[in-house]
Amino acid sequence: MAGKYDAVVIGAGTGGLSAALALATAGKKTLLIEQHNLPGGCSTSFIRGRFEFDASLHEYCGIGSKGDWGLPGKVMMEDYKLNINWLLVPELYRCIGVTRSGKRFDLTLPVGIDNIIDVMEKAVPGSREPMKTFFDLAKECVDAHDYFSDHIFDKFDKNDMVKVDSMLYLKRFPNFLRLAERPFNAVLRKIGMPEDAIDILDVYWTYIGMDYERLSFVHQAWMLYMYATKCPAICQYNAHGMTVAGVERFRELGGELWLNVKANKVVSDDKGKIVGVDTSVGFVETNYVIANVNPQTAYTTLLDKRIAVPEREIKKAHAMKHSIRFFNAYVALNKSVEELGIKDYTIFMPGTFDTKKNFEASKHYEGNDHSVVVTYNVVNPDASPKGTTVMTFTIAYTEDVWAKFSQREYVKRKQDLFKRVMDNFEKDTGIIIHDCIEEIEMASPWTFAHYLKTPQGTTYGYDTNDWNTMVSRLMCIKKDQPIHGFKTCGAAGARGDGYSQTYINGKEMAVLLLEDMKEDEK
Amino acid sequence: MKNVKFSSVGLMDILYFTTRPKNREKMIQAASTKPLIAEYETNRKAEERHPEKQDFVITDIVEHDENVKSYFLKKKDGTNPAFFRAGQYVVVRQYIDGKLIARPISLSCGPDFSLDGKYVITVKRAPNGFMSNYILDNWKVRDEVVTSGPQGVFYYEGLRDAQNVVAVAGGSGITPILSMAYAIMAGDEDFNLTVLYGNRTEKDILFRKEFEEICKRTDKVKVVYVLSDEQKDGCESGFVTAELIKKYAGDEQYSIFASGPQSMYTFLDGEVAKLGIAQKFYRKELFGSAKEPWKLNGYPQDAKDKVFNMHVKMCDKEFDIPCNANENMLVALERAGIAGPNRCRGGICGWCRSKLLSGEVFIPENTDGRRDADKVYGYIHPCASFALSDVSIEVPNNK
Repeated sequence: MAGKYDAVVIGAGTGGLSAALALATAGKKTLLIEQHNLPGGCSTSFIRGRFEFDASLHEYCGIGSKGDWGLPGKVMMEDYKLNINWLLVPELYRCIGVTRSGKRFDLTLPVGIDNIIDVMEKAVPGSREPMKTFFDLAKECVDAHDYFSDHIFDKFDKNDMVKVDSMLYLKRFPNFLRLAERPFNAVLRKIGMPEDAIDILDVYWTYIGMDYERLSFVHQAWMLYMYATKCPAICQYNAHGMTVAGVERFRELGGELWLNVKANKVVSDDKGKIVGVDTSVGFVETNYVIANVNPQTAYTTLLDKRIAVPEREIKKAHAMKHSIRFFNAYVALNKSVEELGIKDYTIFMPGTFDTKKNFEASKHYEGNDHSVVVTYNVVNPDASPKGTTVMTFTIAYTEDVWAKFSQREYVKRKQDLFKRVMDNFEKDTGIIIHDCIEEIEMASPWTFAHYLKTPQGTTYGYDTNDWNTMVSRLMCIKKDQPIHGFKTCGAAGARGDGYSQTYINGKEMAVLLLEDMKEDEK
Repeated sequence: MKNVKFSSVGLMDILYFTTRPKNREKMIQAASTKPLIAEYETNRKAEERHPEKQDFVITDIVEHDENVKSYFLKKKDGTNPAFFRAGQYVVVRQYIDGKLIARPISLSCGPDFSLDGKYVITVKRAPNGFMSNYILDNWKVRDEVVTSGPQGVFYYEGLRDAQNVVAVAGGSGITPILSMAYAIMAGDEDFNLTVLYGNRTEKDILFRKEFEEICKRTDKVKVVYVLSDEQKDGCESGFVTAELIKKYAGDEQYSIFASGPQSMYTFLDGEVAKLGIAQKFYRKELFGSAKEPWKLNGYPQDAKDKVFNMHVKMCDKEFDIPCNANENMLVALERAGIAGPNRCRGGICGWCRSKLLSGEVFIPENTDGRRDADKVYGYIHPCASFALSDVSIEVPNNK
């Protein structure tokens, strides 16, 4: 017997860490256990030679600055009081590709609404007015979204659905009611956005994992507005630094973190009431558990058979589709960004800007050329030793295409893919990197499956498509967590993927768990 | 603000908004109730490639001489061991006197051997080598052996390395190079390999027959024997110098892959510096812990020979154990029988990462493979840290 805890959090990924921080902040004696010897899940780094590589983080969204935190920034910096030095990315992205109209664009979108509108108008004449309208609508959606988030636990109806004061929204956020749940591109067309401008705004799709003919307006509008007004942000010591900052704060709050400890089962009594967690170091007594896992994993392997899983949960898991997963190439170059001529932190190279075609192509290994290139040194000169550069190339997959490869051909598949991506990059930018690679590592869905144990190695949880939008999931935030004393958090949760999103989601799951505790105290 | 409308009256908007969750519910209720899938193909292949552990049986032992033996291993359950990249190692986990000891040992076979269901590892007796002595004196055919999956990053990568590789190997450091030669022969790797294999005398040369066989089958592999303590026809004599490397490297760009003892690296570093090649073209196999820290720059001499108390927090357990200042802190954990996960033992892989709660430690600069944030927040790699005072650390579980 390893002692009794108010709550146990299984998995120290971003969602689990956030949940643990929220529980510890609420004064609960909390144990966080992690199967890996390192906390962080995706939010981690690794060393090759004289370089440290960020495993997955491109940037945080909605951080802001003191006195002006975005919603995620508020959770991390005010609720949890994390000690983080944020570095701001001074632009949204550069994008290079051909739009559906056949026009080639090589465009860099700055931060700041007026700047973005100016650049877009110059690139796509006639976009100024619709862009202004877009940002007005986005602002209203952000306000409504944040208001909704602040009041999400106020009232539930008899079906455990969030009760929304419709008249208040109609009065204060009428456009949110009208547009939030409509597809992003459909709204842009309604406001007369030129098609080329729509294409350019659509390149963010790999950050959410859904084509923008089906993604809900508020989802992308919130992200774009946050990036435009608060800048993308990265932690000074990369994603691993982010994790350690969270862990250190959790320790300060009295939390305990056990590494290299596997949770075998969430154990219940004969009535299905949770009594503890069976771990690789023994039985831990608790009545409340949050698991930073995909619900499917929880239901198939983690929960004691005596805990009744409602049929709706099984149906829900079948109805939802596993979202995107990645190939990443981590590359260290023995030249500086100045020598190489790299000026942009993020470069999207979609090939075609057609979001639907991109989404379709990402079902395949061949012909899937939408890559995202991030160069850390552009924002963080200390990202690697002087005179060197670290970059990440990312390709997204919407299907389990890497499953078919054999052990023997696996490395060659990774190498061939990166060669293709690198060729495209060199052709599109004129920046030559192939002769100055000092270190390279490549991660595929196999790698993510190995370290994260997610279904098919997915990193984004479930698709946020037109019927399974962020807002409709949030309306079901309680209904979708029907097991008393047990919640799941992370990218498969209500807010979908993203470090900012999973930070909020972890906190929200902690709130639900605290409500279960209160109910039992009565 | 522009009033954008999808429907004409406000109430319809509310209706649309509030019916979305109902629509979602319909989609959910229409879905299947059959049992959920617990494991997917990608997850299965990932675990096959990166197994947590592999259980083997020794099927054959080849004695090169009294101090060097190769062990042929077959998986207990009959499945193939994990495919790997030529040059990688496995961590052998062995109970010695009731304590679990782990050491990295290079695979001396090609990756294609794993497709035939086998691994070969080669062990050379190290003076005072705890594990090597145990293995050479105890392991017999039919004994069971537990290892990790394949580890390490000392392998050829065409996206990074030159097409021509000059491998500089010393003594038993030849094993990862032999693995690369096998991989070239089998078509799993495609580069030109010139091996400069250094030994004291001709009789110390390992795998000569194997290399001869490989060189007969592929013209991409060439071997030059370099003897330091005797002169023999057909062999170079002396050490592997810059001149010797230039003589065999050819005119095209080449990468140097070095695998051998620390003394070889110390000499070779100076020679390679004369060649003026970029850092990326010089790669070293680096496992093995720093020894004799008092000989290193910056070591405060008064700590030498002392034995400190090490307080160890591991999950819900706490221990107080002795920690010899002359040995790295992982050794102290091993001697106490509470060592957690570890792989490279050279400060690089980070597997033994622990939190330094209090006390002073010495971390040699050339084996400090810690992440930036870990340096800031006081984490250490015990395999590359030496206690300078009583210390308190929190370590991962040692399951």
